[in-house]
Amino acid sequence: MANEQVNVPSLLVILVLSGLIIRYLFFTSPAGAAASAAGRRGGGASQLAATLRAREAQVDRILQMFPQADRRTVLWDLQRNGGNVAATTERILAGRMETPPITFQPPPPGAANGASNAQSQSAAKEPDKPAQPDLIMRYNLQDKITPGSAESPASEATSSARTGTGSGSGKGKAWSSNREERQSLLQKRRDQMILEARRKMEAKIAAEKAAP
Amino acid sequence: MAQSTAHRRLLQEYRALTNNPGPEGTPFEGGVFPAELRFPKDYPLAPPSMKFLGEVWHPNVYPSGLVCISILHPPGDDPNHYEHASERWSPIQSVEKILISVMSMLAEPNDESPANVEAAKMWRDRRGEYEQKVRDGVRRMLGL
Repeated sequence: MANEQVNVPSLLVILVLSGLIIRYLFFTSPAGAAASAAGRRGGGASQLAATLRAREAQVDRILQMFPQADRRTVLWDLQRNGGNVAATTERILAGRMETPPITFQPPPPGAANGASNAQSQSAAKEPDKPAQPDLIMRYNLQDKITPGSAESPASEATSSARTGTGSGSGKGKAWSSNREERQSLLQKRRDQMILEARRKMEAKIAAEKAAP
Repeated sequence: MAQSTAHRRLLQEYRALTNNPGPEGTPFEGGVFPAELRFPKDYPLAPPSMKFLGEVWHPNVYPSGLVCISILHPPGDDPNHYEHASERWSPIQSVEKILISVMSMLAEPNDESPANVEAAKMWRDRRGEYEQKVRDGVRRMLGL
């Protein structure tokens, strides 16, 4: 009886082990062979680019969580643990990140992105840059800027008062239960705010120039 | 119309937002700073994130525009333990309170944990240069 009791677990162990060995012998090696064959056929570069892209996405994910983390350190850590994002996250949280050796030179951030223009990260960042310079361009207010700053505030105030009474409230409280109307009212208010700020700033600059 | 709690609460808060004039005498005075608030599905349990869409040179604003301020941090998330739980996000906070906090942050940077180290250094060591840079940024933003 004792003999049999020992046998069941050992049988299981043997089964699992043989399963692993069979899997190792028959399933991984063909895949590896196919991959290396693909590499020999000239697909090596694209494969490298794919891993780079994947790594890049992982780094981006981690940097989104920890903007203070160093890119190179994160890359180094990911490289060492084979791209395990969770492990790297744990290490950052525990403060156990190691500084990479000087010999570790990761590709610049743009390298993998350049290879894949479809990546959402780069696509999201690119329109940000040209839109940054100023609000007039961003919200297409060029034609609303009037040089005669003395007259325009008055006319705008009357027009907004008219729309304000139309929707049943004062100038400041632009709120409508209708969704589209509300959106256009709020957009109008935003534009007015920017233009007014610009006018005030213009006046301030003019005053500064006149004073000294 | 089926609206989520988050949606309803946001509409209510949006409505309550009125003109909030900021503090005077800061280099940011007179500026307009568009920002994007992203609300999670489980708002108001979890805080939104806030990101300036333009260039804001400030010790507590990352170069990407992301705002680093205690009210936007969920309670229990501070690895350095120098923020009190009461300063951090909880459902009794609101968008209005975030905006007020951001305005006071613009006026008084907190250089304990700078998000933009260069800006923090400049703010600490070369205040005049910092204020001039901020003022220039504000004017550039208005297209002047």
